[in-house]
Amino acid sequence: MTTQPVSLSRDLAEKQVMRAELSDVDMAVWRSASGVVSAWENRCPHRGMRLSHGFVRGESLACAYHGWHYNCEGACHYIPAHPELEPPKTIKANLYNVTEASGIIWVNAVGTVSPVTLPSNTQAVRSVSVHCSLEIAAQAFKDYCSLSPITANTRTEVVSESPYVLALKAPLPANSPTPSMQDKSNPVSVFIALQRVNQTTTVAHITASEHASETDCIALSRWANKVRTHAEVSVGSTE
Amino acid sequence: MSFTLHDYVLSGNCYKVRLLAQILGVAYTVKPVDFHPGKAHKTPEFLALNPHGTLPVLESDNTLLTDSSAMLVWIAQQFDTTHTWWPTNDAHRLALTVQWLGFSAKLTESIGQLRLHTMLNRPADAATLNTLSTENLRELENHLCEQSIRGLAFLTGDQPTVADIACFAYSALSPDAGIEHTLYPAIRGWLHRIRCLEGFLTMPGIYEAHETRNEHTAAS
Amino acid sequence: MNAALEHALQDWYPIAMLGELAPGERKQSRVLGIDVTVLANDSADETDSTPPITVRAEGAPVHVQQAFDHWWVCLGNAPKPLFSIEEAGEADRRFVPCGVVRVACSPLRAVENFLDIAHFPFVHTGVLGAEPHTEVYKYDVKVDETRDEVIATNIKFYQPQAAKSAEGGIQTEYIYRVPAPMAAVLYKTCPLKPEAMDVIALFVQPLDEQTCDVWPWMALYDDTSTQAELIQFQQLIFLQDRSILENQLPKKLPIDPGHEIPTKADYTSVAYRRWLKKRGAYYGALEAQP
Repeated sequence: MTTQPVSLSRDLAEKQVMRAELSDVDMAVWRSASGVVSAWENRCPHRGMRLSHGFVRGESLACAYHGWHYNCEGACHYIPAHPELEPPKTIKANLYNVTEASGIIWVNAVGTVSPVTLPSNTQAVRSVSVHCSLEIAAQAFKDYCSLSPITANTRTEVVSESPYVLALKAPLPANSPTPSMQDKSNPVSVFIALQRVNQTTTVAHITASEHASETDCIALSRWANKVRTHAEVSVGSTE
Repeated sequence: MSFTLHDYVLSGNCYKVRLLAQILGVAYTVKPVDFHPGKAHKTPEFLALNPHGTLPVLESDNTLLTDSSAMLVWIAQQFDTTHTWWPTNDAHRLALTVQWLGFSAKLTESIGQLRLHTMLNRPADAATLNTLSTENLRELENHLCEQSIRGLAFLTGDQPTVADIACFAYSALSPDAGIEHTLYPAIRGWLHRIRCLEGFLTMPGIYEAHETRNEHTAAS
Repeated sequence: MNAALEHALQDWYPIAMLGELAPGERKQSRVLGIDVTVLANDSADETDSTPPITVRAEGAPVHVQQAFDHWWVCLGNAPKPLFSIEEAGEADRRFVPCGVVRVACSPLRAVENFLDIAHFPFVHTGVLGAEPHTEVYKYDVKVDETRDEVIATNIKFYQPQAAKSAEGGIQTEYIYRVPAPMAAVLYKTCPLKPEAMDVIALFVQPLDEQTCDVWPWMALYDDTSTQAELIQFQQLIFLQDRSILENQLPKKLPIDPGHEIPTKADYTSVAYRRWLKKRGAYYGALEAQP
């Protein structure tokens, strides 16, 4: 297993927790009030409750079931049923390696986290889930570059050895509805970071150059929805 | 003018009415109807009140309503002095509100039906409902993605309307039907914003926003 | 056939409420992974000796009896006696079958959650518990050897709205009984009659090891609330639990120590897991029977 994206940074605000699955590993990803992001095995050691159903208070994640509080190191520091008790050090959530880079949260469930290097001057567009394998999803995003707003003469470029990121550059449609994509001197770049949820579900986390306009981003969001439809149709037709 | 709500505690459509009333601080009388297991909404007595045999029913001195969206409009128009929940002074937002009220019915027909099947064993074509539910959640997700790109927090703009309440219920309750929010980040953010509204009300399957309380500290 | 299933087959499980099916009506259900058909017989004639209900598993009729406002079935060839709830015979109580709710969890997890009080402030917020009243005080747990049941007594917990009939918060006293692996009965302070206790039971029908139909039942002192109000109060509570139960991992209940970390507040659950293990009730448990 390798480093994969689990969310756009924008979609995990302070004091929020979400569930993410990465190659069938179920995890709780949360951001503390001060902004620290953590990714843990999605299971409270007490009674097995998914921690992604919990709630964030300050610098702690609390379990929804009995309110056990865990700090950013994963150590349980408060058990509401026994308010005076100092919890034993052995009560600890199982932590994964996580980092934030280029507006994306990256996790490696088994080793060191080493995100694909992308430009930092990007903005979040959206995350879109596709019911197909990562390979089919990646192929669909490449194949359907010809769909508006990214046209046939776009060069699709894989910017790293990782199979998890596609970078699409320089869309130059003559009649593009989106103003900044017509600007030949300063083209919009689009980055698609792919997350393998499991064999049949993939999530594409999409970012774009900072100077892409609101209209550009909305066009990209709609384009991603079309690509999803194509990818899922191609899966459906081979089944 | 207050009202009586013929109510079922697990109904998402009943919950919409309770939620808006709570947010607007409107007092009303609840009359529980034994929907499950008693099927009291199909008794002659209830059918005399509402021939459709559906819940909720809102009754006041001069009104009897059997559609939850109509109830939301009625409550907002009567009790919301700010005119933001039913934005009658903004043609564009008012029209969008009506549009998303219409969409909320699709959520009820898909997720709502699937939930009754999954939770209370009501007969249904689960596979078809599951496909429909996913389609509807994707439509909502697409829209909320665009709203977030525009910097708008709610369905029709920067403030919630009755349409947000109407769409909130069954979107929030989809895990009861076996559909998690994991793959819908924009919906997740929007649900969270609604849960944090002043006067928010919970129901089974929709928890209190415990995170809004202060952090536990050893000293407290 | 595995030993866990063989053991579970000799117990009784709820399959329908009395009067749920009209005469001639049938429904499909499942018990321990086995498809069953429930048929309400047409017996217009009072002298007819036809039983009111017939349940067949794979075509063959199975043992049926009625108790606590439900029909119960046993699919085994050597049924154990059904446990008793004495209060079911007290005429001044209100008996409230609350209908079925399906939960995607092990039947054992459903029972264990019912025995837990520490979750009240977080799952039943503002009703059965509320912060900062989260402390679980010491209580007593034992196995009653004559009845072969787990019993937990002397439990006290602060509750903002302990019952439909409660007005304001009260210190509530609880007693729990586990009379069968997939049933639990609790006795709690009755707000309208402080010298007596209300009875609330959870009867679990195991569809398979990871899915169950849960039939809550109550025997209360309350002459003010309507039946609909009482049922909906109980459904409010149980459906709050449902979203917890569907999110516990692993789906099956680990009954050997080491998988999960209990505290003093979990003594009832610890005793329940030991008792299951001792009697060989492994259906719905994570471990295979040794």
